[in-house]
Amino acid sequence: MKFEDTSQNLRVRLRIIQILVIAILSVLGVRLYMLQVVRGQLYAEIAENQRRRRLPIPAPRGVIFDRSGKVLVDSQPIYNVILSREDVRGKDLYSLVKPLSDALGIDPDILRDRFDQLKTQPAFESIPVKQNATPGDIAWVEAHVLEFPELRVELQPQRRYPANGMLAHVVGYVGEISPEQLKQTSYKEKGLKPGDIIGQSGLEQVYDEYLRGKDGYREVIVDSRGRIQDEIETVPPQPGQDMITTIDLDLQEAAEEQLRESVTKRGVIIAMDPNNGEVLALASAPTFDPNLFSQRITTKEGRAEYNALLNDPQTPLLNRAIQSRYPPGSTWKVPMAVAGLQQGAITIDHSNLVCGGGIQVGNKFTRCMGNHGTPDLKTAITKSCDGYFYRLGLKMGIQGIESMVDEFDLNRRTGIDLPNEAVSWTPSREFKKRMQPRDPEWRDIDTVYASFGQVYDIITPMALLRTVAGVSMDGHLYIPHFLKEFKPIGEGTAEYRPGHTFEPLDPARPNPKIILIPEDMHHLVVEGMWGVVNNGGTGAGIKMAGFDIAGKTGTAQVVGLGKDVGKNKDHSWFVSYAPAFKPEISLVALIENSGFGNQHAAPAIRKVYDVYYRKTRHEEPPGAQIAQTSKPTAGTTKKTAEGQVAQTQ
Amino acid sequence: MVAMLERRSLRDFDWLLAFLAIGLVCFGTYQIRNAQPTEPFWIKQLIGLAIALVAMLAVAFTDYRKLINIAPAFYVFGLILLVIVLVPGIGLKINGQRAWIKVPGIGQFQPSEFVKVTTAMMLARYFGKNRAQALTWKEIAIGIVILALPIILILGEHDVGSVLTYVPLLAVVLFLSAIRMRVVLISVVLSIVLLPFAYWVGVKTHLVKVYQQERINVILDPQNADRRGFGYNTWQSILTVGEGGLLGADASSAHSQSSLKFLPEPHTDFIFSVTAGNAGFVGCILVLLVYAIFLSRLISGARRAPDRMGMLVIMAAVGGMTFQIFINIGMALGMLPVIGVPLPLMSAGLASLIATFIAIGFAISVQLRRFVN
Repeated sequence: MKFEDTSQNLRVRLRIIQILVIAILSVLGVRLYMLQVVRGQLYAEIAENQRRRRLPIPAPRGVIFDRSGKVLVDSQPIYNVILSREDVRGKDLYSLVKPLSDALGIDPDILRDRFDQLKTQPAFESIPVKQNATPGDIAWVEAHVLEFPELRVELQPQRRYPANGMLAHVVGYVGEISPEQLKQTSYKEKGLKPGDIIGQSGLEQVYDEYLRGKDGYREVIVDSRGRIQDEIETVPPQPGQDMITTIDLDLQEAAEEQLRESVTKRGVIIAMDPNNGEVLALASAPTFDPNLFSQRITTKEGRAEYNALLNDPQTPLLNRAIQSRYPPGSTWKVPMAVAGLQQGAITIDHSNLVCGGGIQVGNKFTRCMGNHGTPDLKTAITKSCDGYFYRLGLKMGIQGIESMVDEFDLNRRTGIDLPNEAVSWTPSREFKKRMQPRDPEWRDIDTVYASFGQVYDIITPMALLRTVAGVSMDGHLYIPHFLKEFKPIGEGTAEYRPGHTFEPLDPARPNPKIILIPEDMHHLVVEGMWGVVNNGGTGAGIKMAGFDIAGKTGTAQVVGLGKDVGKNKDHSWFVSYAPAFKPEISLVALIENSGFGNQHAAPAIRKVYDVYYRKTRHEEPPGAQIAQTSKPTAGTTKKTAEGQVAQTQ
Repeated sequence: MVAMLERRSLRDFDWLLAFLAIGLVCFGTYQIRNAQPTEPFWIKQLIGLAIALVAMLAVAFTDYRKLINIAPAFYVFGLILLVIVLVPGIGLKINGQRAWIKVPGIGQFQPSEFVKVTTAMMLARYFGKNRAQALTWKEIAIGIVILALPIILILGEHDVGSVLTYVPLLAVVLFLSAIRMRVVLISVVLSIVLLPFAYWVGVKTHLVKVYQQERINVILDPQNADRRGFGYNTWQSILTVGEGGLLGADASSAHSQSSLKFLPEPHTDFIFSVTAGNAGFVGCILVLLVYAIFLSRLISGARRAPDRMGMLVIMAAVGGMTFQIFINIGMALGMLPVIGVPLPLMSAGLASLIATFIAIGFAISVQLRRFVN
């Protein structure tokens, strides 16, 4: 270096710069080693995940049919606007509220609620923000893909339920899995995730596993804006299994109609095949529209509708057949009669007991609505003699009544394949202690009350029907159920799922439960019930010549005598089966606060029998005219013969 | 005479330097194509290379002393270009920076890259006289003024990245112009202490804007900083680099970070991330090695320069390029905040490419004339 001079030590300075250059490049090399060799695997995974999306393809839910193959519930494809999670991470969700509610017509409060929910659900993949999107909504989403890459439009099946709330309490409804449900292990184990649609009530809930199927998915590659660029794989969904129910749509329609046309429009009608427990019809009124839950619940109107249902004093959401308990009134006399004979309190040859127009126990006189002399069992049932059963009850004692309750499973759920079945309340010393802590002692007067279907007897219509159907079948108590068959699906594939018929939900329960009723005892009770309709009994008004209806009327007292007006009016019961000596169908009706059983419940049931008769006999039901004309006289006899009163003197 | 010069030129011509540079540009062009397969950037880059080679040869076969002697003219011309950029209508605004001039036919071009060369020439001219004693404060002040004029104009373009790349030019020139070692040491120590302090003061007085603070935070913790906002680019670049692993990912994949647009500006600012993703650790180390040889070659050329001017102009280029390599790759590797500085010889961009080759031309010219005296 010609210009170099020693004082500047230029050579050293150049060397320093060279070392600096190498040092800088080395630092970069070390950093590269950290990123690519040490953590390369990790970053590769993160990079892979941010461009992969799994888009679920919802599985079509199984169709629900009635017993003859008529469609009860199916699904129709609708478009939903979906918000996907990966693309909103780190974004302020709430900034979406205004543009989305403006453009898609979603209520901002509902959207905000939905986002609140999402915050607590870190695992969601995607959620629908707008169901049933209109072509306009879809066009808007597609036009704003740059602005809102997190929105997608997807085809999803939506459940359609019968109109007029028919079968609402039976089929139930589907709905999005709730945050509370997601926390429960039973749901987690099934691999359910936020946004999934599951059965939330009725058969939809009980048989969700079979109906739901398994969602498929599309694995796609998206770009940084969430737009789909490529598809890696598609796993098609596995549809749910189709369900054949035991419902007979004609009977169901008839039952629903009878309730709709009843005086109070509140009540229950159940039809069941006593030979196997298949429920042919179950109507509970008032009812509701299950489509609310599957279609409208995410709209403001839907929320309002739901709140109205919750606050409705008529409790339309309640399935009265299995969730409401009523005093059975005189229908209680059927199991009492069987148990009285079984326990030897009376015998076939000597079944006569005094009526006495009532009974004096201590300082209380409990009266009968008539004076029947000293009737035998058959007459006592036919005429519904309370005096007779007071004395029978006293002969059996509370132990006898308790063992009857136990025998007929009245202190248990019937085991029907619907969720949230209530257990009936039945007489026992413990029950009284709980009910009247100030007078916990069980007395004879309590036995009297317990023997005619009041005070201590408060049971579900389903439990009563099962009891009477069991009596009709000579002691064979079947578990009532709606499932006839699940169709097998996917034959010959790895996803094959076999068919399935009804099995008790509690495998320990025998089906049927067999109660030993000697033939002659059975015959005697059946004759009494036959007489109710066919031998001038309390239900004579619905007699059908040649089609022997056996039954028992009942009037469930709501409050004391003389106060039975308006909403305190007695409940009207009729429980029955036919034909009396070769049972095919059993029916119970309860009309709330309508009055005497023979006036309201029995005629409603007769209408259902008419439909059944036409269907099975292919001719007009006999005696319909007679029933019409004889109604006034039957009505008057009833008033004296029917019912009971507990009165304090 | 001409024939002799030609023959000697061929012999003394720094073939290695030229080939390393051309090799880097070609490799870079391949990566530009990987980054933007559907866009014509790689073709433009090849055209740019051709222009750059012509410019390099022109400079190489011209006596650098003549060029540096008229450096003030180039310097003033450069300043005029920077003023023109600021004129709305001529200056083009991209990403908030008014740093481009629209040139019909070529597209746009960034004068601040050229002005770097003219500024280096100006510095070489001023500090290129033979000297016997250490630098005076007056000389240092004049050096600062030479640097400050273009910097102020570029700040007017809001192009902070470019401004930074000017600083090492002066630093290297001063360092090699016998600035006292203690001044060097004191300024190094002071900057280590004062920089965080200045940052702290800036934050407190709100001179450093919130978004600028965010950029700093991103470096400290890229994975947890705002990955959707300011940290996005850094985080995506780290992912792209990391995905390359030891040997690199499939370059032709349609699912790469750049083709799915997760990595922004993959052909310019983040060309090294693309390279790292495609070529892996092995490829990256090779690239760094080539840069090391290339820069060492320049430094040894400077060492053999016949005069201070030649030495300074080469070393200013070394300082500028090294700094830019560090800033650009450091940013791609998530060590430094995102600053739009091109990677010399690899990023797509005409101005940067041509300016770099002009600098190489100077180095070759110096080499060719080392025995001429």
